[in-house]
Amino acid sequence: MRNKALPLSALRKLPEFGALVGFLTFFVIFSAFGKSFFTLSNLSAILTLSAELGILSVAVTLLMVSGEFDLSVSSVYAICALLFIDLGSAGIPSLFVFVLVLAVAAFIGLANGVLTTVVGVPSFIATLGMMMAVRGIIYIFTGGAAFAYKGDLVIPALLSLRFGETLRLSETDPLAYLRPSHVWFLLFIIVFTVLLFRTRYGNHVIATGGHPETARAMGVKTGRVKTINFMICGVMAGMSGIIIAGRFLMVSPTMGQGLELEAIAAVVIGGTSLRGGHGTIAGTLFGVLLVSMVRGGLLMIGAPPYWYSGIVGLILLFATVINLKMR
Amino acid sequence: MSNEQSPLLEMTNISKSFGKIQALRNVTFALNRKEVVGLVGDNGAGKSTLVKILSGVHSPDQGEIYLEGKKVKFSSPADARAAGIETVYQDIGLVNRMSIYRNFFLGREETRTIGFLPLLDLRSMQEKSKKALDSLGIRIRSVTEDISFLSGGERQSISVARSTFFGGKILILDEPTMALSVRESKRILELVAHARDRGVSIIFITHNVYQVHEVADRLVVLERGQKIADLLKKDSTPGQIIEIIATGKVERLK
Repeated sequence: MRNKALPLSALRKLPEFGALVGFLTFFVIFSAFGKSFFTLSNLSAILTLSAELGILSVAVTLLMVSGEFDLSVSSVYAICALLFIDLGSAGIPSLFVFVLVLAVAAFIGLANGVLTTVVGVPSFIATLGMMMAVRGIIYIFTGGAAFAYKGDLVIPALLSLRFGETLRLSETDPLAYLRPSHVWFLLFIIVFTVLLFRTRYGNHVIATGGHPETARAMGVKTGRVKTINFMICGVMAGMSGIIIAGRFLMVSPTMGQGLELEAIAAVVIGGTSLRGGHGTIAGTLFGVLLVSMVRGGLLMIGAPPYWYSGIVGLILLFATVINLKMR
Repeated sequence: MSNEQSPLLEMTNISKSFGKIQALRNVTFALNRKEVVGLVGDNGAGKSTLVKILSGVHSPDQGEIYLEGKKVKFSSPADARAAGIETVYQDIGLVNRMSIYRNFFLGREETRTIGFLPLLDLRSMQEKSKKALDSLGIRIRSVTEDISFLSGGERQSISVARSTFFGGKILILDEPTMALSVRESKRILELVAHARDRGVSIIFITHNVYQVHEVADRLVVLERGQKIADLLKKDSTPGQIIEIIATGKVERLK
């Protein structure tokens, strides 16, 4: 197993290794035990869950590489879904609502960034406070009730609804099972990979998380980098929220609770360092696919839904140990 | 300081406090063209604070900085670098989990516009950093390797090579040989001499008076935030300098 000549030794140096192994393991397990695992509708459902968690997680990856956390993404996700449903139902064009809601998300990100980099509150605390405050606003606003969407379907069709519905495809067409969110997820994977590894900004992100004093001494404005990342996190959380609002065409005030930790788990499973300075978007892709597949797959093999969080917890521990010890 | 020509760098009456601690008190410091100045003093004398003011990390509470006769104000390390002041630190300067060439160009990345996107020009940065290291005789396996795989001496060599590559006029070395072996230190001193020969002015901070006495033209001694001695090398011996640092007094030389 420790044979250096095997390509495995090169492979396992990759930060994505743990997540990739986990992904393949569970893929085999579910394929063996779940009779309907390989159906189009099921694979599409897993992709849908992946996209909704993943669009947010790629941004969380960027932020974590720069050395900060954002626990408020779950609340930003929910309040953006809520605002979208509420304003859209009031008859405002959904395209306009979409832009407006993402601006709100960016503003919450800005507040997180200022609290962390200017005031000096550790991001864990700043964003925990923000998470609870925003969730509180959601409860006050909704009185605990769920709301249905009554607005136009432009944004839902562009983000969430199955191509089968929007393009009126026959159910035998594989394309009918795909959703725009799958395409957006793929697009964001590419965009964030390029951003992180092929731009000046990405280099500054890695340096900011890797060694903040060095980054500053070399002229990197680390506070600005982190603040921008908080804003990107807010916007992407908002995007995920609007996608899920567009899929269910309704919103409940408890929506997204626990999502912030699920995203961090997926990112860490994907090999991103908790201390910053290191991580890949591809790793996060595998982490997200793994987590989402476990969620979808457990339902498929008829396991109680409570198993989900326990198993994700075990995967998180397992992947972290692999990442620590196998390299 | 009554030269016909103004010195390359002049820092006048610099004071700086951190809370209740006064790190620097009315320090005046000058650096001439092509000069190597050794900045020495005991722990807490204010050496690092002085150069951090010069490299834009701290701003002084009082005092002024003149570069080639012109008054300058650095509000960030980037400002100082843009003005041609490069710093090599003892403990910071390189990001461990980043490749050599990315470290080399950190803060000054080269880009190439593809379509409308300015993307990193990886190949150019790799080639240039490789060339710069080769020209100084610094041998490394590959510039794409992470810094964390290198020895302390290799890291410090890369820091020094980087600081001279971008054409700085003033090079500040803050205890560059602190954690290095004898052989590695010798290598760094060679690089310093090489930079001096190419016309770079150097401020060299160290605890090792013998080491700095070898390469310096002039020695400045700080003691509790004040300048207590400013001697040409030819007017002093390492033993005398050590005595000044140890006692905090200059009497013996007067």
